[in-house]
Amino acid sequence: MMSRNIVRGTSGSIGSGKFVVKAQTTGVNLRLVKSISTGADKDEVKHFKELAPTWWDIKGSQRILHLMNLNRVDFIRKIMAQSIKISDPDVYVPGFDYKKFLPSIVSRNVENQIEHEINSELLSKQMHILDIGCGGGILTESMARLPYFKQVTGIDLTPEVLEIAKEHVKQDPAIAHKIKYELKPLEEVKQNYEVITCFEMLEHVDKPSEILDHAWKLLKPNGVLFLSTINRDMISWLTTIVLGEYILKVVPIGTHHVEKYINSSEIIEWFKENYNGHFEIMDTLGCMYVPTKGWVEHDRVNVGNYMMAIRKLK
Amino acid sequence: MMLVRSRIVWQRFVARGFATGGAKVKSPQLADVLIVGGGPAGLTLAAAIKASPALKHFKTVLVDGGDIKDKVGSFYDSPPENYTNRVVSLTPPSLDFIKSKVGINLMEDRMMVYDGVYVTDGCSNGTIDMEKDGISHMVEILNVQSSALKRLTDLQLGEDSFKLIDKTKVASIKYSDPNDATSWPIVTLEDGQAFKTRLLVGADGFNSPVRAFSGIQSRGWFYNEFGIVATMKLEYPPYKVRGWQRFLPTGPIAHLPLPDDNATLVWTHNDETTKLLVSLTPEAFTAMVNAAFVLDNADMQYYYNKLKEKSITDKDLIEDIDSRIQQVFDNLENESDIDECYPTRIASIIGESRARFPMKMFHADTYCAERIALLGDAAHTTHPLAGQGLNMGEGDTEALVNALEKATYRGLDIGSLLALQPFWADRYSTNTILLGIADKCHKLYGTDFAPMVGLRTIGANFINNFSPIKDLITNTLGTSAREPIAKK
Repeated sequence: MMSRNIVRGTSGSIGSGKFVVKAQTTGVNLRLVKSISTGADKDEVKHFKELAPTWWDIKGSQRILHLMNLNRVDFIRKIMAQSIKISDPDVYVPGFDYKKFLPSIVSRNVENQIEHEINSELLSKQMHILDIGCGGGILTESMARLPYFKQVTGIDLTPEVLEIAKEHVKQDPAIAHKIKYELKPLEEVKQNYEVITCFEMLEHVDKPSEILDHAWKLLKPNGVLFLSTINRDMISWLTTIVLGEYILKVVPIGTHHVEKYINSSEIIEWFKENYNGHFEIMDTLGCMYVPTKGWVEHDRVNVGNYMMAIRKLK
Repeated sequence: MMLVRSRIVWQRFVARGFATGGAKVKSPQLADVLIVGGGPAGLTLAAAIKASPALKHFKTVLVDGGDIKDKVGSFYDSPPENYTNRVVSLTPPSLDFIKSKVGINLMEDRMMVYDGVYVTDGCSNGTIDMEKDGISHMVEILNVQSSALKRLTDLQLGEDSFKLIDKTKVASIKYSDPNDATSWPIVTLEDGQAFKTRLLVGADGFNSPVRAFSGIQSRGWFYNEFGIVATMKLEYPPYKVRGWQRFLPTGPIAHLPLPDDNATLVWTHNDETTKLLVSLTPEAFTAMVNAAFVLDNADMQYYYNKLKEKSITDKDLIEDIDSRIQQVFDNLENESDIDECYPTRIASIIGESRARFPMKMFHADTYCAERIALLGDAAHTTHPLAGQGLNMGEGDTEALVNALEKATYRGLDIGSLLALQPFWADRYSTNTILLGIADKCHKLYGTDFAPMVGLRTIGANFINNFSPIKDLITNTLGTSAREPIAKK
């Protein structure tokens, strides 16, 4: 278990327990990358295997994940829309809170036109997406339904869960052709992508820094890496484990290990150390589960769960 | 066992062979949304989906057993001179949704906006004068349906985008995988066509086959009462355009305005008396309606008995009613109170416009299940006394469209329960309030027990003079318990 606490990154590192562990010699790390899978350890694989049958039951073990997915997609959509500058002079973009001041019929039209313009701009980019740790495909399917993503590839290391994902997508002829599921570790992925997502998975792997490094290298210039994980603090421990797993029982017991959590500041540190000047943190968003309300977004990104979007500069 | 079973299968096969004229059983076509029922809710939903930028790509099919294309369609192009008898109240939020969100142009000249309802107690002088400019609009159901259909026609949609199948009933519904309630339902029509649909919407009324298939329970009761509707011609156009409702111990009677000298009637009574009233000559019925807004319950009972025994001629009845009404008017302190406290006298009722239907209150436990959503009367039925039936249906439709749009933005499967739950959450409490108002009013006024009459008269007169509560009630009814449009 100790080995899990000390993480050797390829150059810098993010870790858990002992936070930032300085880089080892490059040679050792390269060997490590090649010999050890970037995926989850055996316990994690076993844990998710047990959850496979109820993955898509929105009233079942993964309900809270299904709910969180709503906020993830909101976040992705917001970031994608942010990356578009509307160039068509015929599209009216009000510089004020138009929904508040314009009559509903007008603001609706303004909104529709902007939405349409953004969607067609994004569509023209023919984006390919990689979903790392796709699990049963909750996020993968949602992303495939966004009109502007061309192809989504989901990878995971738990065969049983991936089978569920493959079966489930067959239900929907509208997206079945847009999704590819592959049982393979990240380092075997060779293609490059415009968008890479890594949601709620860094806290389930031994070497998050290697995941980040691989993902970053697969990202095309100007591409966006989305990630989400949990800050390693008392509050996270109380909310995600004590409350979530043992008291409210909305998360299956054994899902989380607080020592694997990563602070949002550590992510930023890691990028500064390794890719200084080549990345831009587009947004960081905190979120918190409130029973009966679902996931509520907030701006305290150093507490509890958070999502982050990082753009690769050219 | 096997033999019996195979025989049943064989019989079914033969039966279906006959029913479809030997047509081959086709493999199901795919649809994203299949709406059962072409009533106001179903047609508005179809138009809303096709008018929504986020939803218009969903292949939509609407199935109805009745004649929609010709009968409903022709109403818009060549409307009849007289008003039809199925008239409903449409409150401003419902109208805003229909007009600005769905883009439906209702036939405005056949609608009547009115400025409040004057509610009286048939057993006392208890009165609530709910006055509010443009509190609601009286609209024929056919107007809503045909205008929605017109909107769909104007969009010029191809067969692969929207399909309207009328004069065809649903023969069966089953899940494509019997062991998986999240699998797409297969809806087979009586002509042999089958659709495999992502989302099945039951806008199919009180006896909803879709609700039966979903297993969702609907609970409630029949009031053991019937409503009579009719279209009325007034003696002259009213000087004050408002609705009139009088609570008689036998049930409420309501007179609601239509353009010019037209008005519509909803009169609630027990089984026996409604049958009697429907069987009367138009002239006698006209006199009885006039009587019901002015005379005491004892007078009305006297006429019912006379009519039942057939011991009074139409001429005597009309004369007697006229003289008694005149007596009441003569006793008023002020002649202007006639127009203030009583609706304009009706001159006649229009031909065959009298109809009778049972009163009931039912509410489904939920409005959605995996791949299923229930709208309008399929989810809830109400007593018409508060004028909320159609508004609840339109409110449901708006909430469902909002939920589907939000789900689409978030990349959800619009048939999944996760996508549909917000629709139910949005509507259940609102509908419960509206159903409750109608039911409680009905119970409160359903008696002539003196202490009860006394209490409710004090209550009504108090409310009438205490504007915060009166405004609250007026606004709740005038917005169908939703936020006023200005706040949106």
